[in-house]
Amino acid sequence: MRQVWRLLDTGELPAANNMTLEQVILTARRRDLIPNTLHFLQFSPHCALVGYHQAVELEVETEYCRAHGIDINRRISGGGSIYMDEGQLGWEIFALKDTPGIPKRREDLYRLMCESVVAGLAKLGIDARYRPLNDIEVGGRKISGTGGTEMGNSLLYHGTLLTDFDVDTMIACLKLPLKKLEDKQIRSFKERVICLREALGHVPPMPDIKKAMAEAFAEVLRVELEPGGLTEYEGTLMVEELPKFQSEKWIRGTRASQESNLTIADYKTPGGLIRISLRIDHPRRLIKSAFITGDFFAYPKRSILDLEAALKNSSSRPADVLATVRRFFTGNDVKIPGVAADDFYHALCLAISDEGRNESNGREVHAIR
Amino acid sequence: MQMEKRAIPDDLFYDSNDFWIKVAKEAVIGLTDYGQSNIGDIIYLEFVPAGTVVRQGGRCGSIESGKWVGSLLAPVSGVIVETNREAEADPHQVNADPFGRGWLYRMETANRNEIALLMDSGAYKTWIEERIRLKEKDDVTL
Repeated sequence: MRQVWRLLDTGELPAANNMTLEQVILTARRRDLIPNTLHFLQFSPHCALVGYHQAVELEVETEYCRAHGIDINRRISGGGSIYMDEGQLGWEIFALKDTPGIPKRREDLYRLMCESVVAGLAKLGIDARYRPLNDIEVGGRKISGTGGTEMGNSLLYHGTLLTDFDVDTMIACLKLPLKKLEDKQIRSFKERVICLREALGHVPPMPDIKKAMAEAFAEVLRVELEPGGLTEYEGTLMVEELPKFQSEKWIRGTRASQESNLTIADYKTPGGLIRISLRIDHPRRLIKSAFITGDFFAYPKRSILDLEAALKNSSSRPADVLATVRRFFTGNDVKIPGVAADDFYHALCLAISDEGRNESNGREVHAIR
Repeated sequence: MQMEKRAIPDDLFYDSNDFWIKVAKEAVIGLTDYGQSNIGDIIYLEFVPAGTVVRQGGRCGSIESGKWVGSLLAPVSGVIVETNREAEADPHQVNADPFGRGWLYRMETANRNEIALLMDSGAYKTWIEERIRLKEKDDVTL
């Protein structure tokens, strides 16, 4: 007999309410007061959310958000900053870690959850696939990012699904690895993400999207979903916890020392110019995100997007960068005439080094100490 | 799946959450080699402030890798007296040297009897092997 999980849909809520709900439902699950749950959530007004350990001022254009009525908040889960407007669908799983069928190995858990979303997208007519570590993509372009956290014996794993997306606002409100004024870079950046509207030519009604996703989760996780609302316990805890998630202390409180520098470097190769843009935390020796453009020709085209994914949150130590780049080119069938794998390594090292920073056209340095 | 060779020093005690504890005047706590290898590349570490009183199993910080935020749980009760600021600023040290530069925090323990209930190196090795066996079961099921 299949396990029965709750299907919870709380509709559109402000960011603080949704962030509170995550803490509340996870707490209720840990105390065994609710069954495992699939939760759909939406945001109104639109918002920028940073990961648990991130510093808002390093990740979000706070003035732009203030001027445009964009909420800012902090997730209890890991990962990077995201922009959620009213059209996006959030999904999340709350479960006991020892639930039969929930993998114990972290990477297996990521794969299972992402494969559920892939199956849901297939029901909508979209050929998506899981991209390690935590993304779902369509033709190399990201359509859903995911992340998670835990509390005692329980876990939360969640993600977003881009339905009809305002990329321009995302670029304006988040500090991304690109210079805001370069149209060519912005056009190229837009090619990194895709939404349902672009993939299908239309946006299916939200109830249809939720139905497809719920059916897919039920099939992949081999459970039955039973619609249900918040329990009295959750409602009470929600009221108690909401002020915390609305507070400046939660949203902008002190985080561990960190930096987020934009560095850009150009590197010439026989096959063309490689332009590397990085968001980098030098003290942590961490490439937070990478954006690679240029006038070379890569086959398949998606390979550069996959390389960017491999570099995200990777070590910026030269030996590690070399290992990441070589592992990528060894493991993927990539052809770039006139450009060798090590050219990307040299280009990355240039961007990481002081020389690269000095040559950058738009160096920005921001730090939290 | 074979257990990769992971260091398990004999002079330490271990808990089931993959933390080691070195018992001296003040106890030193860190993440085991097996623990750090399971977690993967650590991107962020945060500790509660020195002076915080924690109970055994209580949360004394957070750790992030692969977009996952986990908790640092105290193997024994006590007062945090110092946290490793260098590891907090460069968490790679926990991956690279979990029993050395990558230590996490020092604490004044409240109840020495709790230490007696922790695992020695032999018991911890057995515990790891049991978990690997369960993961292999996952591989068969998935």
